[in-house]
Amino acid sequence: MKYRIFFSMFGAAGIAAVLSLMSPTPAQARIKLATLPARDKVSVRFDHPTAVLVEEERTISLQKDVNMVDFSWAGTTIDKGSIVFRPVKADSKVVILSTSYPPGENALTWAVYAPAAGSEAFRISYLMGNIQRETSYTALVSKDESTCTLRHNFTIRNWSGEAFDAADFITREGKRFEKAMTNGEAKKVLVNKWDGVKLKKEYVYDTTRHSEGKVLTDYVMMNARDSGLGQIPLEFGKVRIYQDDGKGTTAFTGEDWGKFTPIGDELRLNIGIAQDIKIELKKMVNDRENVRGNVFDTNEVDEYEVKNFKDTAATVVFVVRVQGEWAMQNDSAGFEKFERMDNETIKFWVPAPAKGTPVKLKFHYKRLNNW
Amino acid sequence: MKTISLALIALILAQIAAAKEELVTLPPRDSVQLTIYNSEDLTLVRDNRTLSFKQGDNRLQFSWANTLIDPTSVEFRAIDDKDGNVEVTETSFPPESFEMLIWTVTCKKEGAYKVEISYFTSGISWGAEYQGQVSEDESSMELQGFVTVHNYSGEDYENASVRLVVGVIHMVERVIDLARPRRPSPPVPAPSVPGSPSKENLRKMDSPASGLGGGGGMSRPKEIDKTGLSEYYIYAVEGTETVPNTWSKRLKSLTAPAIPLKTNYYLQPRKFGPLFTKVLEFKNNEEHKLGKEPLPDGIIRLYRRSAAGLTWMGALASKYIAKNDEVKINVGPDPEVTLKEKRLSFKKIDLSFESNGRNRWIVGWTTVEEFEIEVKNFRGRAVGVEIHRTCGGDFDFASDDSFANEDFQTRKFVFALGANTSKKIKFTVTTRGGTNAKK
Repeated sequence: MKYRIFFSMFGAAGIAAVLSLMSPTPAQARIKLATLPARDKVSVRFDHPTAVLVEEERTISLQKDVNMVDFSWAGTTIDKGSIVFRPVKADSKVVILSTSYPPGENALTWAVYAPAAGSEAFRISYLMGNIQRETSYTALVSKDESTCTLRHNFTIRNWSGEAFDAADFITREGKRFEKAMTNGEAKKVLVNKWDGVKLKKEYVYDTTRHSEGKVLTDYVMMNARDSGLGQIPLEFGKVRIYQDDGKGTTAFTGEDWGKFTPIGDELRLNIGIAQDIKIELKKMVNDRENVRGNVFDTNEVDEYEVKNFKDTAATVVFVVRVQGEWAMQNDSAGFEKFERMDNETIKFWVPAPAKGTPVKLKFHYKRLNNW
Repeated sequence: MKTISLALIALILAQIAAAKEELVTLPPRDSVQLTIYNSEDLTLVRDNRTLSFKQGDNRLQFSWANTLIDPTSVEFRAIDDKDGNVEVTETSFPPESFEMLIWTVTCKKEGAYKVEISYFTSGISWGAEYQGQVSEDESSMELQGFVTVHNYSGEDYENASVRLVVGVIHMVERVIDLARPRRPSPPVPAPSVPGSPSKENLRKMDSPASGLGGGGGMSRPKEIDKTGLSEYYIYAVEGTETVPNTWSKRLKSLTAPAIPLKTNYYLQPRKFGPLFTKVLEFKNNEEHKLGKEPLPDGIIRLYRRSAAGLTWMGALASKYIAKNDEVKINVGPDPEVTLKEKRLSFKKIDLSFESNGRNRWIVGWTTVEEFEIEVKNFRGRAVGVEIHRTCGGDFDFASDDSFANEDFQTRKFVFALGANTSKKIKFTVTTRGGTNAKK
């Protein structure tokens, strides 16, 4: 004799375990005696960057011999191929014999062999759609802009059609919190808070980031222990930045997308434009040299006039790109240091005195057209 | 009509997503602060209230029907809670309303606490405007600056302290988009002249404490305190203001009675367009009776004073002017100072050809052009003149008049021109084309 058990998920309505007294015939011809076992445990895992894995544990009363366990759902989006069903105990004598997929139904049937009648705890795992997650951060920067308090929030939006009376929600970095969520509900939870995170402020001129050549203001922080972070990789998410104004309140100073930042990597956040630093580019020399038919080298001098109208001196980081084969010439001047980042990119650190005193960065280079 | 409400609630849940009984208290606002940004449609509202919490979990409902609030920005914190007695342990956005959230506030010690609720709203903006009255001889200008606040957020803000932020902040999403999903109607664009006031708003306007009826009962214009913070300037308006929904208000932010002016004339197409144009110049520094703060971008309306009264000179959009930076106001062509350019000669030299035996074609050439520019000053005062000339290709530029290299293509002549005088400058441009070009 085969016994038949049903698990049905009807959106947020509930779950039923049904013991069928009839033979395993198609769904429309079944007489059911239902029990309503609650989920023993539910966890919703966000380990994967995009998919959400739900794991639930249920205790099922099995008869000796083969039991047919049906699992069906309606009003929720479950990836049928992702469903994993297994006993919780590693040394369980229960054996999953087969899985059948009834046609045209959001359902499947497991044939489960039990050597003796009794209760057995099972774990069912599946990917569920329409549960959105979002990581966001709030940074409260100190008045002197040297440190910040970083709050890490995790928001879950449950549009799955399923209600969770009590579930463990587990973030990618393993943070666990228990919540009840109805369908359509969203919850925002503070999962981490780091005080005294060191940050560095940088003024950056980079026309690939701002085509009009405005100077950007960046905060840079290292995801490392000695910077006050370094405990977990920082997930991609929006970072809203506030600053202590020294008058007992704060001002919002900008927001940026924080990229996924592994431990040891840097997180760079643009807060806005430094309007008090102006840069004007003039090409002072643009000559052809070493002309060989239609092939020639170029001799170019780019002159950047930097005016820092702030009351304090600043250093501006120039990120300049030159295509092709080229070499900087020795009479380039006006920078504290430089670094060739890659073939196309060179960085200059240019000190800019306060109160609008102009300084010039002279970048002299030759493009070589060798064949 | 108030649309934002805060309620302490006791919920008895009969079952999930079913009807619920609520016990509600509505604590009033103690104070409210608006921080309004001019570079984005963004205002940070800080709403301070005193709330009593019992020990354990307290549920607090915050709702904002028919406003333009970004739900993702709403934050709650206890002020002066040094012992950390009050903490938000959960923020829940119930499915039945987009414009509501419920905080679970865990309190370690029962008592009354001052709390701050902050959020971003769209629909409140501010802008700068300037009025300049130029003396008859154009040697000085009286400059007045104004800031105008417009409220189209859907919410009245009574007795709010107002801060205006000068600067360009970086935003990755627009507040109006985040506020939008269930917004019943689009925001009303800010008109240049406010619409007719409702009776309710008129009453608020007349209130002596409002600040809108006549300076908040003050007999002088309000002071605006300006302080720097990071890359921004914050203009804090003295006292409080009531800013009813759909209203605008203008406040004076700056008065500089006699800014020394220079008048220069430019032919500089890349900066001022193709015409020979008059430019009034000064610096935002102490020497020019300014320089205490940057001048935010805004419209400058210029008038000239004369014995008969004011005459209209024009209006133009001004960009942000940093402290110590120079200001150049382009007031357009002036018929009293003219420029004429002539090409005196044109010849082709150094022609070279290639041939295949039957046909011959030109491959190299050089053009030599002589130009004359005459500037006449019909005015009764000396003026400065700057002429920029941009050439293309492989060229040589020669002149007996003094000139300088502006960049690799541009040469500039700078000179002063006395009252009722004229000056001619001549220059020769030699341009090598085809195989003659070496650069």
